[in-house]
Formats: sequence, structure tokens, C-alpha cells
Amino acid sequence: MSARRWAARLHVPTLAVAALVFAGWTLLSWRYGAYVLPSPWAVARGFVDILLSGEIWKHTGASLYRIAVGFGGAVGVAVLLGLAAFLSRVARDIVRDALAVLNATSVFVWIVISIIWFGLSNWAPIFTTFMITLPVVAANIVEGVENVDRRLLEMGDVYRLNGREKFVAIVIPSTLPYLVAGMKVGFGLALKVSVVAEIFGVTSGIGYIMNYSREILATQMVFVWALVMILVMMATDKLVFDAVSRRVARWR
Amino acid sequence: MAVKLAVEGVGKDFLIPVLDRVSFTVEAGEFLCLLGPNGCGKTTLLRIIGGLEPATRGRVLLDGQPVVADRRHDRKVGVVFQEDRLLPWLSLRQNVALVLKPLGLSAREREAAATRHLRVAGLAGFEDYYPSRVSGGMRQRAAIARALSVEPDVLLMDEPFGALDAQNRRIMQNEVRRIWRETGRTILFVTHSIEEAVAIGTTLAMLSARPARIREMIKNDGRVERAKLIDDLNTLIMEEVERQQGGAK
Repeated sequence: MSARRWAARLHVPTLAVAALVFAGWTLLSWRYGAYVLPSPWAVARGFVDILLSGEIWKHTGASLYRIAVGFGGAVGVAVLLGLAAFLSRVARDIVRDALAVLNATSVFVWIVISIIWFGLSNWAPIFTTFMITLPVVAANIVEGVENVDRRLLEMGDVYRLNGREKFVAIVIPSTLPYLVAGMKVGFGLALKVSVVAEIFGVTSGIGYIMNYSREILATQMVFVWALVMILVMMATDKLVFDAVSRRVARWR
Repeated sequence: MAVKLAVEGVGKDFLIPVLDRVSFTVEAGEFLCLLGPNGCGKTTLLRIIGGLEPATRGRVLLDGQPVVADRRHDRKVGVVFQEDRLLPWLSLRQNVALVLKPLGLSAREREAAATRHLRVAGLAGFEDYYPSRVSGGMRQRAAIARALSVEPDVLLMDEPFGALDAQNRRIMQNEVRRIWRETGRTILFVTHSIEEAVAIGTTLAMLSARPARIREMIKNDGRVERAKLIDDLNTLIMEEVERQQGGAK
């Protein structure tokens, strides 16, 4: 690979900007002190610490478990709503209106309500994640269902394919890219939302440990856990969703 | 020869009458081209014959059985649309094999039949390609292979080469003509090109301006010289175009 290709791969200009940001960050942290802004080196040391102690897996695992349940549930329900929207026009209009309402509801509403309903338990962040990601994923699926090419369905009628055959051969493949796109956005949202919900009432998870670090004045650990979140997000995006998107669109 | 298809006083109204009362018969093995001014209802007529749309009046008989829109029936119709309507996520072979499912063949038989019909359509070697990987002409060939694979009683083609360039069009016209000779299918072919109709059809049906009736049925059996036939048809179609435009004023 040529030098230029490597430069493109490594995003050299981005790296240059990052170096500047780090330099400025170090200067500012000297100026304002470690409580307000810990130095990049303190953050790096903190990251190595939780990696060595294994604490990183405990809290990341707890957060990912809640996301898996809440987000997974949302995907499951969204698929059912998409199916209903496909089968009936009336259902499609109802689902669409309901999703508009859910979309307009703040994260905080669900956090407060889930604490009232489920108390200080795992179910509060799970429920919040579920309610926030459901409209995003479902809206995508419904859009996919609406965009199924009627001309292809008519082709199915010409050749007397039955409802199941048309669904499997035409509806599912044309909706799949929308589902994957919705899941990609939904998962990002799930990660961001579930950690907020974890501030209240649970004793594990990235949100909990960030808030705890703030309380014990360990600001560098707030930065460390933020870094963990960013890494989890980028890794799932690159490793899972990019691969799935490519697979779903391999015929293009 | 036996009558394959009888169109008896078929009419269709969408707000205004589009098809008045169209009647004609097609014999088994005939290659009938439907001509007419743009927007006179050629496609609508084809869709009614294919059972994709109900007629307002009249009826269509295929092998003596009435064609009813939106109902399961045993007759087999192959349709080649203006667009290829292939499923982009299936290979050409899978696209053809899919429409064989309702015929109760095993997976292996479907594959074999699909491969065979793709070969007839000149697509040997391209069976495993996705539609996006082949040219527009090849996609339309695959659509024709798909239509032939169900061994249709009648093959309906709705300006199938409209999207192709002149060269590909010529090639595909020869191909369809060859396939028709080799398979002996009854074909109904809608086109707005007189040259195309004269080049491939055994019978030419000219529709009048909206609301359409049959203006003229012409046997294209070589007794009339091609150049003269094209001239006569051009005169006819221009009369109808003028009538249609006059009526719209």
C-alpha cells in the first residue's frame, strides 16, 4: 500500500487536529487543575487501571445487558408493528400516529415514570431504553414496509405467488435495509439513553459509575468512562452494523 | 386453428371512458401486436386481459374460460412489463425459479427449469448474476425467461423494449421472434412503434383514439409489402392521433 493510502486510512489531518486538542487540553488542565479538567495522561492511567482491575467489564457488561434487553425488546415489538402496518392500512395509520407521540416524549419523562413504576431496579433503565428506541426502529420499519415496490408485488400476483411467498421473497428483503438502518440509529440512542437512566437507583453500569466518580471527586474517571462509552459505540458501529449493512446490500 | 383468446366488447372507464368496446380474437400460436396512439389504453387493455385489472364492460375468455381480475385461477399467464420487475436481491436464476413455486415443482426441478429458460433467452453463464450486475437488455431477457418458464397459455408483453437503446431493441426483437418460433407460444405484444410491430407481429391490431375500439386488424403475412404496410399504418395512426388531440380540446 502506498504512503498516500496509509495517510488516507489513518486520517492524518484528523490526527493532526487531535494532537492540537491534546496539547490544548494538557495546557488547560495545568491552568485549572485536575478537579475541573484532568490531564489526558491521568485519563489514560485511569483507563489502564480499570482495564487491569477488570472493573471495565463489570460496568460495561451491566450497561450492555440493560441495552440488550431494552433495545432488543424494542426491535422485537417494532418488527411486530411493522407486520401489522403491512397487513392493514388502518393499523399503519394508528402505528404512525402513536410513534409520532412517542417520538415527541422526552427521555426524562420515561426515567421518572420508570422509577415510579419499577423502583430502583434494573427495569428502570431497561424500560427507558425500550420506550426511547422503539419509535426510532419502528418508524424505520414502517417506512420500509410503505416503500415496498407495489410493482414487484403485482409481479408476484401475476405469477400467483401466495401471501407467504410474496412476504418472504419481496417484503422482507425490501424492508431489511430499513430495519438495519433503524437498528444502527436505535443502538446509538440506546447507549446514550440507558446511561442517563443509570444515574438513578442502580449500583452498576457506566452511567452509575460516572455519577459515582463525580461524587467522590474523581473527575478523571468521569472522562475514562466517557471514553469507554465512545469506544463501545464506535466498535459496534464498525464491527457489527457496517458488516450487517454490507451483507444486507450485497446485491447492489 | 383454435381460438386461444377472445376479447368480447371489453371496455374500461376511469372518470372518462378509456376503452369503448374492444373485440378481437387471437388464435393459438399467433403473435399479435397491439398498436395505437399514445394514451389510448393499450396498456389498460393488456392488464385487463392479464387479469390485473377488472373491465367495466365485456369479458375476456382464455381457452373458453372467463378471466377474472383479483381471483386465484388455474390459467397461466406470463407478463413482461415495461420495466423488468426482477427482484434485485435474487440472482437471475433465483428470480426465474421463484415464479415456479406455485407450480409445485421441487427445488431441484425449479433450478433446472430456470437454467433451461435462461439459456433459451440467451443468458447461459449469467444465471448467478444479480440483476444490477447485468445490462438492461439482459434484465429484460431474464424477465422474458421468467415469463416463459411458467409455460404460459398466453404471453403478454407491454412495450418490453421501451427502455432499451435502438441497437438492443433490434437484437431483442429478433430474439423474441426466435423464441416465439421455437416455443410456439401465443403472444400479445403492446408497442407504440409501427416498425417494431411490422417486424415481429403476425397480426397487427390498430386501436383508435380514446375511447378506443379496434380500428383495423391486419394480417402481416408478407402479402403486403412491408414498406407499404408501415406507410399505411403511419397514416392510420396519425389520423387517430389528430382525432384524440381534437377531442381533448
